[in-house]
Amino acid sequence: MDYDNAARDTINAFAPSVSWEELLWLLPHEILGATIVFAMLAIAVRRHFFVTTVITTLGLIAAALAASMQFSHLVQGAPSALVTPLFLIDAFAVFFVIVLCLGALALAILGFGYFARLDDAREEFQLLLLLATLGAVTLASSAHFVSVVIGLEMLSMALYGMIAYPIHSKVGAEHSLEAAFKYLVLSAVASATMLFGMALIYSQTGALEVVGSANSMLGYASPLALVGVMLVFVGIAFKLSLFPFHLWTPDVYEGAPLPSVALLATLGKVAVGAFFLRFLIHSHLLLNESVTLVLALLAVASILAGNVLALRQTNLKRLLAYSSIAHMGYWVVALLSGVGLGSQNMAASAAAFYLLTYAALSLGAFACLSIASSSESEAGVLSDYRGLFWRSPWLALALSVMMFGLAGIPLTAGFIAKFQVFFAAVESSQWGLLAALVLGSAIGLFYYLRVIYQMLQPAGEEGRTLRDLGLESVGSVITITLVVLFVLWAGILPEPLLVLIAALFG
Amino acid sequence: MSELFYAGGLIAIVSTLLVIVQSNVVHALIYLVLSLLAVAVVFFSLGAPFVALLEAIVYAGAIMVLFLFVVMMLNLGQASRDQERAWLPPRVWIVPCTLVLVLLGMLLPQIFEIAAVTNSPFVEVGVKAVSAELFGPYVLAVELGSFLLLAGLISAYHIAKR
Repeated sequence: MDYDNAARDTINAFAPSVSWEELLWLLPHEILGATIVFAMLAIAVRRHFFVTTVITTLGLIAAALAASMQFSHLVQGAPSALVTPLFLIDAFAVFFVIVLCLGALALAILGFGYFARLDDAREEFQLLLLLATLGAVTLASSAHFVSVVIGLEMLSMALYGMIAYPIHSKVGAEHSLEAAFKYLVLSAVASATMLFGMALIYSQTGALEVVGSANSMLGYASPLALVGVMLVFVGIAFKLSLFPFHLWTPDVYEGAPLPSVALLATLGKVAVGAFFLRFLIHSHLLLNESVTLVLALLAVASILAGNVLALRQTNLKRLLAYSSIAHMGYWVVALLSGVGLGSQNMAASAAAFYLLTYAALSLGAFACLSIASSSESEAGVLSDYRGLFWRSPWLALALSVMMFGLAGIPLTAGFIAKFQVFFAAVESSQWGLLAALVLGSAIGLFYYLRVIYQMLQPAGEEGRTLRDLGLESVGSVITITLVVLFVLWAGILPEPLLVLIAALFG
Repeated sequence: MSELFYAGGLIAIVSTLLVIVQSNVVHALIYLVLSLLAVAVVFFSLGAPFVALLEAIVYAGAIMVLFLFVVMMLNLGQASRDQERAWLPPRVWIVPCTLVLVLLGMLLPQIFEIAAVTNSPFVEVGVKAVSAELFGPYVLAVELGSFLLLAGLISAYHIAKR
């Protein structure tokens, strides 16, 4: 028969499918996978939250170490590797793998402190965290739409469970269920839209590779392929919560438990952002005027809507949700300042730096919130933090550093990140975007400083006493300290980090 | 084969529209089964018998039977039918329909343009070819797919237990 021969040809052409050398390039992914299986077996033998957390953290540290070894090889000039058509392991991918693993490490420690007193099975949280990390890592290192979709779905699938995590406990179950359901339905719609877009791109270019040569000319492609690109943008904009696709963000942030929100705001955004950056760099899409117009509209609308809506919020989680919408708007401004064009290095490194900084800042902010809360009682309302400076000065100081960073005030990483975006926008003469950036930052200053103002107020009767820190919070305290130090270090001495990031695009 | 394609496509579109419009849940589900089977026919006519079989077995077979079971267990009566009808008054349709028609109007000329240019030969992709791809260059996707299912399993287990 005819197609028997065709099949045999296909088999011969690709056998053996994956070599040992290629598998070595995927070491961080494999370590994560092995940790998942091992943690699951450990839970099957005996349920113990501390042991599961230790396994999780060790696995994440091992994955981060393996990735850093690869990173030092790649920066010293080792050629990047295309592992099957699905993964491209280069300095860019490995850098984000390290960032994602370290972020997940912080989240595992925070989750331990937060869920320590949950009256339900707690071990699955760490399993879901590991699975979400594997999805995020897959997304950041993917070179093919297939791995993009699988990574994105793995991340979302784990998040459904994590958002609804306290569902069986007595407090806050309805809110988390509502949040999870909202995220499930909307994220499924966004994924379906994205898949349809990928199908349209495939119908026009005949290729599913993100980094291959076939899709590298998408910027000049036919209108139908551009419709596909726009549909892919819808999916990405949903995950990044850009303006018209942001409606889920405040509700999900408010309803979900804090470590899950922190995951949504850090790993979720970094992984999708890394993929988006790579997609734009390799597809030369920004050469197309209709694409830049759409992205510019998304950016301006997100900056204005996010900042204006954040003004009236009295719930700190909702405030951070709207602030994330605005920040992703700033990030798109960095993209529009020339990613994939001639002067791409500066804009791309500005975008990568911004992504890293935003992840660190929101991780720090949610860490401060989660150390003030536990799964039984979340300190989400702004008045909970009234007089915090007089009750627990160190926590208030850490939260202030994060707020200053998010507002973009000097001596924090937030300032350097925003300055870089600003500079890139000036270089490429994006005056309209620049105006939105300045206006948004000015509005933003008001509500970030309002949080600090609340903390400086004298502690009245209405100021809730935050819970006493137990032994389970030691790890969270260390995490917050490290994040604060990182934010200050990157704000005062950004040079080494900037050089490192510039090397990603060299 | 192209007659089969157009017949399947037409049935799929009409039955999907009926799924949305129907206020009786069971009728809507039956139309959904019909729509999925029609899509299977479309896949078959395009030379992908394996995908067509999967569509018929997994979607029209397994998933829809599950849906029907749930609906039967919930035992929805006239009340839910009235509620459905109340949720979908005619004015709800105006904005989405306009938007969709605009999009369709922009897409249709493109599609006809492509149809005029492309004349690709009919290639049948059999089970063997699909498997060779799945266990060749895409073997890592299969492995990752298992982790994706694991994530779904653990989430579902945690939410649904007790």
